Amino acid sequence: MSSTRLTHRAGTYGLLVPTILVLVVGMAYPLGRQLILSFQEFGRAQQFGQPAPFIGLDNYRELVTDRTMWAVISRSLAFCAVCASITMVLGTAFAVLMKAVSTVPRLTLQISMLLAWAMPVIAAMTAWQWLFDTRYGLVNWLLTKVGLSDFDDHNWLIEPLSFFFVAGVIVIWMSVPFVAFTAYAALSQVSEETLEASHLDGATAIQRFRHIIYPTIRPILTIVALLQIVWDLRVFAQINFLQNAGGTPSETHLLGTYIYSLGIGQNDYGAASAMAMFVLALTLVLTFRYVRSLLKEESR
Amino acid sequence: MKLTKIAAVAAASALALTALAACGGSSDNDAEGGSDTLTLWLAGKEDTPKKVEDWLVKEFAAQNEGKTLKVQHIDWGDLIPRLNTALQSDKTPDVVEVGNTQAATFTSVGAFTDLTDKLDQLGDDIGPKSFVEAGTFDGKVSAVPYYWGSRYIFYSKKAFKDAGIAVPTTLDDFAKAAAQLKADGGSKYSGFWLPGQDWRNGISWIFANGGDIAKQDGDNWVGTLSSPESIKGLTELQGLFEKATTAPKDGKDAEPWTAFNNGEAAMFMAPSWARFSVEEKLAKDLGGFALPGVDGGAAPVFAGGSNLGISAKSKNQDLSFKLLKLIYSDEYQQQLAKNGLGPANDEFTSLMGDDEFAKSAIAAAGSSKLTPASPEWASVESASLMEEFFGKIASGEDVEATAKATDAKLNDALNK
Repeated sequence: MSSTRLTHRAGTYGLLVPTILVLVVGMAYPLGRQLILSFQEFGRAQQFGQPAPFIGLDNYRELVTDRTMWAVISRSLAFCAVCASITMVLGTAFAVLMKAVSTVPRLTLQISMLLAWAMPVIAAMTAWQWLFDTRYGLVNWLLTKVGLSDFDDHNWLIEPLSFFFVAGVIVIWMSVPFVAFTAYAALSQVSEETLEASHLDGATAIQRFRHIIYPTIRPILTIVALLQIVWDLRVFAQINFLQNAGGTPSETHLLGTYIYSLGIGQNDYGAASAMAMFVLALTLVLTFRYVRSLLKEESR
Repeated sequence: MKLTKIAAVAAASALALTALAACGGSSDNDAEGGSDTLTLWLAGKEDTPKKVEDWLVKEFAAQNEGKTLKVQHIDWGDLIPRLNTALQSDKTPDVVEVGNTQAATFTSVGAFTDLTDKLDQLGDDIGPKSFVEAGTFDGKVSAVPYYWGSRYIFYSKKAFKDAGIAVPTTLDDFAKAAAQLKADGGSKYSGFWLPGQDWRNGISWIFANGGDIAKQDGDNWVGTLSSPESIKGLTELQGLFEKATTAPKDGKDAEPWTAFNNGEAAMFMAPSWARFSVEEKLAKDLGGFALPGVDGGAAPVFAGGSNLGISAKSKNQDLSFKLLKLIYSDEYQQQLAKNGLGPANDEFTSLMGDDEFAKSAIAAAGSSKLTPASPEWASVESASLMEEFFGKIASGEDVEATAKATDAKLNDALNK
């Protein structure tokens, strides 16, 4: 008897092996490598076989004393805060709207959002770049048509603020569908009876949203917001693409593109790894509160 | 809370999907290897014309039984990052094309096989010399010239005739002509199409006035964008940005013929092969001349072109060298020349033709210059340092202050 139980238990643990393997290969190894790299001098020579000397905290020291890093961090935080909050508000609003309208407009909305969500980033970016093109762009053409002649040949990417406006529009456009769909799924869990009862008791629409709907979907919104923050903090493809299209890269780097330019671009893998460790710490600090409240929610 | 769990699962799968998508990007490198296939990386989509490439693949298969040549095209913008990672991996391409100014980045770390002893097997007198030098580090030649091209001016004969302008013979005349053409052409029209961040063409004004990007001082590189000669060139260039062009201030050197094709520019500057991108109906109207120097003649322009290297990590060293020999064969060199690409074997340079385009290309190449031969130059390129600098000049910022600031950045970047 006991031997079968033992096999049984071993079997149970055996089932965990693939998961653990995936975690070790996919997460632990790169993270460990990154940690080690961040304490090394690792440039092109090392990449091609020279030994990599350990230089202690030099990479970190260099980053901390360089004003560029702080500029990049504050830029990223601001961009993330603006994009994530607008995305959340718009996404939830769309979800409420989808709940309120009849089937045909709802389906239209859902399909168009699904298409936006499913569109490959580079294809979407190419279209957006054309829309905002200086000479032949639709946006400039439209704005000029409605009488804003300042926008004739207006350059959208050359000023960092305007660059981030365009980037923000694109990032939000790409992330709203996910929030909207998730929030819509959550809304379907809101009890109709409670809503009806509150209606009879004379609660206004806003009161119903605040006191019934929002508390029910809050856990989901929290997770989605958490994801949104992580995503918007490490946004890369959109920024990189726009930087190649125009603008001034050194003034528009966010965390992702800055790490890329340090590492892949300039072969300073040590500094890039150190920077990536900063980002990891930053993400943990930013999301710690959410993760904790989520765990509490779970154990209840 | 059941809802939390649903959300957690949704969130987890979304994360997993992004992770998978992130992995997807690199999977195109996989299906290679096997010593029966030799991989050649060519830069740009069709910088090496398709039919020339096809000939190479066919001839390689004919000469080496059972072996195939696989050509992959890497965009110029991706080339350095891709080479950085690929050349030191086990899945390295065997032979790669690299921009002449980027060669030092890889020769300096031994990424390419030393070819010094085998050089005579490729030809008696391969060149251009500056390209061989660009592929040499510590006296060892490990990247050999592939082709050279040079930038010259393409112009609309009709626009010149309408404005009553002759082909300019000095740099000053050129600036006047460009400004007049723009003034005649209206608000959307460029006398000379010159995007702000197009430093590879803009640099000609610095070179023409005797300036340079940086010069070597002992072991150190010193930025010379703020030397009096460079400042003079940059100031003239700023005048052109202001008076002669309507190109975007943050535009780069990609597809300069678009405005010309749309009838929105009288002149543009590009490497010789750009000629084939001008619309056919405009071909008759298209003329070419080498950018004139300050005192006449041809101005020194940026020498375009590339080198070839054999990856030191390649397991097919002999076969790779056979490919190089095939590229250096008379037939292939002739085909390059006929397609407007300067051949490494100068016997065939005359095959580029004797029309005004070939003459302009050869004249421009005669006085062309390279970027600083520092192994760190590629970092300057990937950081877009020059693009940003020229963009600022184009936007009308103070020339001297911007040049000084950029010199400081160059000193940092080149002396790592």
